[in-house]
Formats: sequence, C-alpha cells, structure tokens
Amino acid sequence: MGRLRKKGKAGAAKAYMTRSAAVKKLQCSLADFRRLCILKGIFPREPRNKKKANKGSTAPTSFYYSKDIAYLLHEPILNKLRDHKAFAKKISRALGRGEWSTAKHLEEQKPSYKLDHIIKERYPTFVDAVRDIDDALCMIFLFSSLPANDRVSAALVANCSRLAAEWQLYIMHSRSLRKVFLSIKGIYYQADVMDQNVTWLVPYQFTQNIPSDVDVRVMLTFLELYQTLLGFVFFKLYTDAGLIYPPALDASRDEAGAGTGAFSLQVADRTVVAPEPGCTTKKASSKEVRRAIKSIVTGNSGSGHDESMDVVDQAPKATEADEEFVPHPSTNDSGATASLPTFQSLSSIPRPNSSSLFSPYTFFLSREVSRPVFEFLIRSFGGRVGWPPPSGSGSPFTESDESITHVIIDRPTAARDNESLEGSEPKGKRKYVQPQWVADCINSGRILLEDLYRQGATLPPHLSPFDAKPGAYDPTATLSGDESEASIHEEKESAGDAESESEEAKGAAKKALPVHVDAESLHAAELAAEVAGVEYDEFQKGVRKLETARRGAAEKTAKQGEEEDMGKVLLSNKKRKLYERMKHSQRKQEAEVCFMIFPSLFALLML
Amino acid sequence: MAIAEDKSRRNKRKTREPEVETRPAFGDAVNLVLASDEEGGGDDHQDADTDSDVEDFPEIDTGTDSGVGSEESEEDEEEEESEDEDEEQDTEGDPGSDSAIYIFPKATSTVSNITGRPKRVYPEIEPDYNSDSSTEDDPNRIGNVPLHWYDDLPHIGYDINGKRVLRPAKGDELDKFLETVEDPASWTSAFDKNMQMNKPLSAEELDIIRRLRLGENPDAGYDPYEPTVEWFTGKGKQEVMPLSAAPEPKRRWLPSKWEKQKIMKIVRAIRQGRIVGSKPKTADNTPQFYAIWNEVTSIQPPPLPAPKLPPPTHAESYNPPEEYLPTEAERKEWENTEPEDRERDFIPQKFSALRLVPGYDQFIKERFNRQLDLYLAPRVQRKKLNVDPNSLLPKLPSPSSLRPFPTYQSLKVILSGSRVRCVSVSPDGAWVASGDESGVVYLWEVIVGHEVKRWTLGSKIGAIEWCPRTDVSYFVASVEDKLHFIVPPNLPSAILSSTQNAVTSAPPPPTASPVKWASTSRVENGVILTITLPATSGLPKQITWHRKGDYLASVSSSESQVWIHQVSRRHSQAPFKKIKGTIQLVLFHPVKPQFFVATQRYVRLYDLMQQKLIKTLMPGIKWISSMDVHPSGDHIIVGGYDRKLCWFDLELSEKPYKVLRYHSRAIRSLHFHPTYPLFASSSDDGSIQVFHSRVYNDLMTDPLIVPLKILRGHDVSDGLGVLQAKWVNKQPWLVSAGADGKVVVWCSS
Repeated sequence: MGRLRKKGKAGAAKAYMTRSAAVKKLQCSLADFRRLCILKGIFPREPRNKKKANKGSTAPTSFYYSKDIAYLLHEPILNKLRDHKAFAKKISRALGRGEWSTAKHLEEQKPSYKLDHIIKERYPTFVDAVRDIDDALCMIFLFSSLPANDRVSAALVANCSRLAAEWQLYIMHSRSLRKVFLSIKGIYYQADVMDQNVTWLVPYQFTQNIPSDVDVRVMLTFLELYQTLLGFVFFKLYTDAGLIYPPALDASRDEAGAGTGAFSLQVADRTVVAPEPGCTTKKASSKEVRRAIKSIVTGNSGSGHDESMDVVDQAPKATEADEEFVPHPSTNDSGATASLPTFQSLSSIPRPNSSSLFSPYTFFLSREVSRPVFEFLIRSFGGRVGWPPPSGSGSPFTESDESITHVIIDRPTAARDNESLEGSEPKGKRKYVQPQWVADCINSGRILLEDLYRQGATLPPHLSPFDAKPGAYDPTATLSGDESEASIHEEKESAGDAESESEEAKGAAKKALPVHVDAESLHAAELAAEVAGVEYDEFQKGVRKLETARRGAAEKTAKQGEEEDMGKVLLSNKKRKLYERMKHSQRKQEAEVCFMIFPSLFALLML
Repeated sequence: MAIAEDKSRRNKRKTREPEVETRPAFGDAVNLVLASDEEGGGDDHQDADTDSDVEDFPEIDTGTDSGVGSEESEEDEEEEESEDEDEEQDTEGDPGSDSAIYIFPKATSTVSNITGRPKRVYPEIEPDYNSDSSTEDDPNRIGNVPLHWYDDLPHIGYDINGKRVLRPAKGDELDKFLETVEDPASWTSAFDKNMQMNKPLSAEELDIIRRLRLGENPDAGYDPYEPTVEWFTGKGKQEVMPLSAAPEPKRRWLPSKWEKQKIMKIVRAIRQGRIVGSKPKTADNTPQFYAIWNEVTSIQPPPLPAPKLPPPTHAESYNPPEEYLPTEAERKEWENTEPEDRERDFIPQKFSALRLVPGYDQFIKERFNRQLDLYLAPRVQRKKLNVDPNSLLPKLPSPSSLRPFPTYQSLKVILSGSRVRCVSVSPDGAWVASGDESGVVYLWEVIVGHEVKRWTLGSKIGAIEWCPRTDVSYFVASVEDKLHFIVPPNLPSAILSSTQNAVTSAPPPPTASPVKWASTSRVENGVILTITLPATSGLPKQITWHRKGDYLASVSSSESQVWIHQVSRRHSQAPFKKIKGTIQLVLFHPVKPQFFVATQRYVRLYDLMQQKLIKTLMPGIKWISSMDVHPSGDHIIVGGYDRKLCWFDLELSEKPYKVLRYHSRAIRSLHFHPTYPLFASSSDDGSIQVFHSRVYNDLMTDPLIVPLKILRGHDVSDGLGVLQAKWVNKQPWLVSAGADGKVVVWCSS
C-alpha cells in the first residue's frame, strides 16, 4: 500500500485559493488586498474544475493562484499598508484627543511607498511597458480634464495634465502619431512608439462628472500606478530622444493657457561622446540649440515655443547624415547604450513620408475649433499652426499672416461671417476646411481634396482607421464602387458639389433599392430614384445586381446548409460543437455584411 | 436647602426694594407675607417668627435624642434669628453687625512702636476662675466619663461637694413638645449631656454656629482678606545676606560630565547615521524618475499583458456612413435590452459637424468597467483556432459518386387521416401494405400508389410484415392480440394455391397451447389464418420473419412476451421463460441460427440451437427504439429514443464501433437495404436520413458510413414524425409512413 494521500493537499485544491482565503492569509483588509492586486497586477484565475479547487463546494467565488498570493505575501508594500493602518490609528487617536503637535509630528512621518520595484517587476523590459501604456494614457487624459474635488485632489489633476502634456510633446517631437479617429466617445489616437502601437482615447473637452456607481478609490489606485509607470516611460523616451526629462514648465505661459506650449523641450548635454568625425558638429549644433532655446525662453515673445520645437526637431536631423553608417542599431541593448550617441541614429530613422504630411502648410484654427486637439494633430505632422487669442496664448502668428494656407473652421456658412473672414484676405489663397479634413488626411496618409470638406459642406462619412477586419463589411466598397476613389486628391474629377450630390443620390437610391420585391414597389422605388436624380440605367443595374445577389444568396445558403448537415453527422460531439461555433461566428459575420448591404433583403431572407 | 431658600428670598427682596423703600414702616411684614405666599412651605419659619405661631412646626422632635435632626432644627432657628438680626441691622444702616458678638476677647489693632506697623493686641487674660471654661461653675463634677454609666442611676453625677446631682425631671414626649411650643428660647437651646437637660445657647455660640453654616471662619475676628505683609520682599526689604553661608558648589559653574557623555553619545549616533532626523516632507513626496530599464533585465518572463480593448469601429464615428445608423426598431431594441446584454455599449449617431458632438456621458463608467475587468475578471489564455471549419469534417466520398440512393419524393399517398404506424413492402417490390391507427390495412402499388384493397381489422395495427418467400405471397398484420395472415387479391393462381398450401394445409398442433391457430377457408376476405395469442399479451408491436419465411417472431407489447411461430407446423413457442428487462425488439440473424433480443438498454444475441446467450451488446442508449441487422449478419445498427444511432461490428466488441447523433428527435425506425449498401433512419423530427454503408469482406477494413441525403417531406404531428421507413426490395427506393397520415415513396433520380 502506498502512502496515504490526503484530500486537498495536491492539485487544484492547492494551486488555487479563494479570495477570502487569500485575504485571511495576507492578514489585510479587503480594500488593501484590492489595492495590492491592482498594483501588482494580480487577477483571478478560472480553475478547470471549480469543485476541485474549492474543496468540493460549487459556490460562486473567485480564485487566485496560491503562488500569486505567496508572491504578494512578501511584498514590501504590504508592510507599508500595515504601517499606514497603524499610522491612521495613531493620528485619529491624536486628533481625537486634541494633541495637535503629536498629530503634526505623525503627519510628518506618514508612511509612504514607492512603486518603482513594481514597475520593474511588471515590465522587465521597456517594450513591455510601452505595450501596456494604453490604459494608463486613457486614464491620465481623463483625469487631466476632471474638475478637482474632495475625492480627486487638485495636485493629482495637475500631475495628470502635466503627464498628458509631456506625452503629447513627445509624440509631436518624435512625429510618431499614426492614426486619429473622431468618435462619439472621444478622440482615438494611435502612435507608433518603439514599434508598438499605442492607442489612447481622449474625451472631448467637456466637464466630466464621476457617476455615483463608480468607485473612485479603485480608479485612484490605478492612477497611482499609472502615474509612476508613465513617469518612468517618459523618462526613458525623453532621454532616448536626447531630451531632458521633465521638460521645463513656464508657469506664466501655463497660466495664460498656452497648453503644451508652456513646456519647453531641452536637449540633454551628452557627456559621453564617441570619437566620431561628426561629433563636433553635433555638439556645436546642440549647443546652439540650447542657446537659442534659452534666448527664446527668456524672451517674452509669444511665438517662442513653436520655433524652439522646430529647432529641436532639426537637431537629430543634422546628426542623421553623420551616423548613417552605424551598422546594427539593435533595440535590445538600447538601455545599455542609451547615453551613447549611436542611439541618435535610432531615434532618427528615416520616418515614413506621411509624418511630415502637413509640413508645407500653415494652419489657422478658428475660434470654435478645439485648439489642444488640432494643435497636437497638425504639429505631429509637421504643420505650423496658429490660433486666435480666445483659444489661448502663444500663437506663433496672427490671423493676418500671409503664410496661412488652411483655415480650419467649423461653423456654418453665413454671408456675414464670410465677409468678415474673407474680406480682409485674398480669397483664393486660403482654403477653409472643416476639422474632419485633418483627421481624414492623417488616416489616408495624403492631402485630400479640400472641396469635399469646405466650410458648410455636408461631410463625407468619417471612417475608423482601425476597423479593417478581413471579410467584414467595407463601407467604402459600395455598390458602384467609385465613390471612395473619387474623393482622392490625385484623381481630379468633377467639382465637389456634383460629387457630393451624386453621392447623396446614390445613398438615397440605395435606400430605395432593396424595398422592391413586387412590381408595384419596384415602380415606386424607380420613381424615388428618379427624383433623387439617378440614371435609369444605373438603377436597372442596381436592381439586377440585387436580384442576382438575392438569388445567389438563397441558393448558396440552401446548398451549403445541406452539405454541412451531411458532414456534421459523422463528427464527434466535441468536434461538432467546435464546428458549429465556428460556423455560427462565420454566419454572423456574413449576416452583418449582408445586413449592411441589403437591409430589407436581409430581412426577407431571414423570413 | 434652607440657605438656598434664604438666598432666593433675599434676591426677591432685592427686586422689590423700591417698593420697600416707599413703605418703610410695615414693609417687612407685608413683604414677608407676600413672599410666603409665593414660596409655599419654604416660608414657614418666617411665619413662625413674625406671627409667633408655633403650630406649623410640629416635625421637629427635639427631646428624643441629640441627633442630627434636632441640631439642624436648632441651627435653622439660629440662622433665622441671626438673619432677622441682620435685617434689622440692615434697616438700621449699620453694616458691621458681625463684630458685635465675640466669643473670644476682642483684639484691638494698634500701631506697633517697634516696627511701626499696625498690630493686634488682645486684652490680658486674667488667671482667675473666669478665665477658663474649666473653671466654670459646672455642678456635675464627674469629669469626662461616659454618661451612660449613669443611665440606670437616679443621679447623673456629683457636684463639687460630692453630693449627687439628681437627674433632672424629664417630661414625656408631650411635655417636650409643649416645651418647644411654649418656651420661645427653646429654639436656641441645646441638650447638655453633662446636665442631661436643655440649656440655652449663648450669643457667641449661636454666632459660631451661624458662621460654620455659612462656611466662614468661626472666629469672628479673623479677616481672610488681610493685606499681605512683605517681610522680606518689596523695595528696600530684600535680604542682603544669603540665608546660607556655605560656599557655592562647583556644579553651579562646571558643565556636567555625565550630561556631556550622554550628548556625545547622541552626537556620535547622528554622525554615524544611526539617528536620522525627519526629512522635510515635500522633498520626499515628489517622485524621482530614473532610467529604471537600464539595469540588467531579469530572467523572469514578463507577466502576461492585459488584453487590449477592441479598436473602435466605423459605427463609433461621429459621422458614420448612413447604413450604420440604427433604425427606430433597432434603437428601441437597444434601449430595451439590459446594458450587459447589449452588443455594443453605444448607439451610433451622426453629427453634421464636429462642434456639435457632445461629451460622452459614459466615459468614466467605461473606464471604470475596464479597470474592473483588469483586476477582477479571471483571465484565461485561449488559443485562437485559426482553422477552417471545413477541415474538421471527415474526408468522405462525394454522395453523387455513391448513387443510386433516394433523392426525391416520387409519390405521396394519403390514405386516411390517422397515423400510419407501419408499412411493409412485398418481396417482389411491387406492393406496399400499410397499417394505420384506425385499424385499416391498405394494399397499394409502389409505382403509382393505386389502392388495391383495404381490410378493416377493427383496432390499431401494431405491425405488418410480408412473408419473405417469393413463391408465396401474403403478409401478416397484428391487431389486438391476434396475428392475421392476409393474402392479397388478384394473385396468379399458382402463387395463390401455393400460398394456401403453405398457410392453411398444415397439420393441426399436436399439443394444447395458449396460442390458437385458426384458419378460414374464405379466401375472398383475404384473411386465411389467424393466430390468437394469450389474451393478456396485448398488441404485438413487432413482427419479424426468418429469412426462409417459415418462422415468424412477434413481440407483444404488454407482457413483452416473445413468441416464435412456425407456420409450416402451426406451432408457437415462447423461447424465453424469464428475461431480464422489457423486450423491445427481436430479430433473426440472416445467416446463422441466432436471435437478437433488444431490451430497453441492451441487445443480447442468443444461439437458437444451443439455446444460450452468445453476447450482450451495450449501445449506451437509454431506451432502444429500433434495430436492424446488416444482410451479411456481421453488423447491427441500433437506434434509440435518445437520438443516438450505434453501429456494432459483431466481430469486434460489445461497445459500438460508431455512435452517431444527428437527428434532432428520437429515432423511430432503422432499415438496411437488402441488396444495396444503404440504410435509412427515420425520426420524430420528420426527416429520414439515408446513409451509404459499405461493409467489406476484408476484416481489416472498417465499414464505410457516408451520410447521403436527408429526406424531408413528412410533417411532425403531436411530436411524432416518420414512424417507419422501409426499403423496396430490388430498387433503391424508400417507403416511409408518417404520423401525419402520409405514406411517401422516395425514388432515386
């Protein structure tokens, strides 16, 4: 007889731990446990068999790995949390007794903890950290726009807005913004940092109120971690880009509402310089840059910042030519060689052409256009941008500047407005476009025809640059298929008015098309199409297309169903379920596409 | 209590002072009366005083003992009196009433001619008998001895002459009371223990009592607020000489060695960093960032990164294409579903300009939900199967290469409204006999569906089976507890006569049996032989023929009794005396003398010659509904009400070789085609599934089962679909009987 095996000593019973057991083991409160889990990134696991993991009970509980809990058990922050608990007791006692000096003394010795080691544990390499800053950025941007109250301190909001500005500065400086999407939830941005796609969502500039069913403590704990994480990430990004972190903040400009313009980037002075022929020139250039920046910073000109940005931008470009021969700029040992000038070559890898998309143009933001957003967008793609004083100080040029090529305007056309705006300037030179034009240009990677986006025009739909699933419905590939191409700058087609009109008409026709099944409704649809100004031939083509599509779809579904049923018979239970799941998802996707194309036909098929 | 009352009275008086002043003559009396009215019982003493009315003071029992109560009452009286005096003096305008009465000799203050200051001078005490109380004239000279020694004696002590001092007469309680009432001085008298009688108190004693009650110093001459006398302080009076002439000690001017040692210890500790002063708080608070990733990276793999949120779709755009906007119905549906069940957490909207886009009110909530997901949701790492679903399907030959098989419905025969329970096709494949629940057996042609004849047998038909012999032509139908042997009409005379010979011209049974064989000579009705089973056995639900057409087995429904009938000998026997479980079906082995018996869950194979069990098959079906054996006899299929179909290879194992589950409802019947490699299953879901089933002679090759076709055409009525499906003998045709009253012939194209 072998050794007796006790129940619950091996396997799932040992590997998993319920939450209450974990809290008991850690001897902390549930709130502290939650805080630890958030900071350490520990999350519940789903055991294969709940009954085995929970000593035969099937009560709904959440399980953690026992090893995770053991890992929390010697976490220094756990001790700090205990210290804090003792501190809270002491100070409440002192306050209750009115011992103010004791309370003050205690307050001075309030235990505080740092999250540096956690950052290092959770993100062993820098790339890991960059990969995971999406949520952090979203939170930072959200909290930077929150009003401070008793739960959200003003210092926290200030720190968040500082971090947000630093991130935007870096993106603008490194020209790494790739996509932008104006959604109803906010603005999605995607940047390419360290070959990682970083996507973040920024709410529109409205006051957000924290709903009552949201636990602010959880958000603040996350924010605590995110602030530290972003601090370290930005430090590394800035130093790798040869900049000093944190960037200097000019308080007076900040108060004047300069936004990101209140920060000034400074090039770090490199002490270690490789003996290369180009180093002298580089050094000289960086010194020059610093001198220039200093003069700009000390000078009280409002246009100082933009120039400084430009100058800073030029610095790595100047070195680019000298260091082209560097053979293997590897990202792995980038940390070790961060201070060497060879890294310059990394940060100045020839960028894709689209990153300087707006560089030939000068923009002026109208009063109703959100300045922080569009300043960020335009400057990320190399454009110069100015704004009227109500949008904040620090505009590099005024409205009367001759070099302005585009005015971004978001108000309906009115005779008076036009007079006042365009009366003073030569009308032909400046182009008045709506804000969507900027986002669409960025997403398509080229300058689109401005006529479609002119002031007061009905805009073409704004599509998500992220939504490109294979096989999914593509709204640009419409029935006639030439609409999307028409809007491209290269194809100089007819005037924008006609274009948009025909587009509208097609939309209307498309809406009208699927309705007809019998002759009567077909006739009605025909009339509707005629009213909308669709050619008869085109309409007939659409009808035929629809008919064939419908017939084909019906046949296809019937035949497919038959064959599927045949093959499925011989599958094992497990495989059949898998097969059916896959088929279900396929069918769902197809149905979605079908629904998008022929909504009412789809309804008929479903019947 | 009395004091408080006095005080309140006094206060009242003060408030009324203007009035008092206007009427000074009898103001006091009037005032007092008024006050007594107001204060109720508290002013009884006052009344007593003014009116000298003693009746209101009965509670005080002065005579009983020298207790606290009496003393208190005396004091009270005293108090009152003194108060009265005060008041009188007040009215007289003389404030210094306190100094009027002295117990001790009065001190005079004179200016000292030595110090030049005022001093108190007491009068000289003359040392005569009057100078001390001890010399007083006390008649009782017993000294300070306990007086209770004299309690039982008539005297209370002795006087100076040694004479007894007799105990004074002590009245009874009434006397005492009268004394308090009559004698006005009784208020101010106290019991003298020495003399065992009441003695009036002197004015000095009363004053002491009053002072004690007021909490004052009993000495009337004592002034608590005397000006301080500065003997050694003040200007010009400082001590010039020290009090001590001792020389100043060294410690006054030398620093302490021990203190220095202690301080040095702390200093050293601070220098060595053992004692750290509290740092300024502000410097500690700001986070310090440094190149955290510059050090050597750890070997540990990074924890799994959290899954990212799905990217936004076109529908989320502020200006989406028109087709993404929801219709009114969709919007309503979205609003009516619970937030957790919604496919997307927002509803697409279109704005004509960016400036019109409002703030998103769910922003914080969504961020919060994301964070809840991050720390509360269990994460499971799933491998995304990037498999073409069609690759899961087995590689099968195309059905078109396995023709012929029935593909279309060639004929639909609706004979009557009731359910068609059973159907049987004649061995030559020309005729079909079908029996329905109303008890009618129809005979019709397969090709055109022309009804030839019908027999009304009274009640529900349980089963119909043609005799498999080709030289004779008849079929057996089961009704109630009878088996009717029916000859179809219009037979060729040769066949008819051979049929009659085979069925009727058998010798009578040699022994008595519960089963009755009764033949009728009336051929025109068609029923030429009837077997009557025992009365309790119920409707035979299954009839099955042996391949040679001489033996016939029937399974009765109620007792699940199996009877094997031999037509040639007109003999019936029950092969099983006792069998475990209820028998569902029986089958003759097509080649060997073996017999399959299906109970509810198992299929048993018996050898008929040796009369023993060969093997038990375990299909794992909850309730077996149908069974058929392959014409080769090596394979058997079993179907169940739990939708499963099991294929057994008898050579291999008791467990099924293949289990298929493809019908959505219970399987009702199974049938192997006698010649083609086909079998069909019919189900309550109203469909018939046709399979290709090729069995190889080679033992190494597994049988090939290919699903060919699903035949749909029967309706489901009352949860019953296709009740029986039978193959036509020489054709790849199928005849099926449905619960909807239809009999359908399926032909191959």
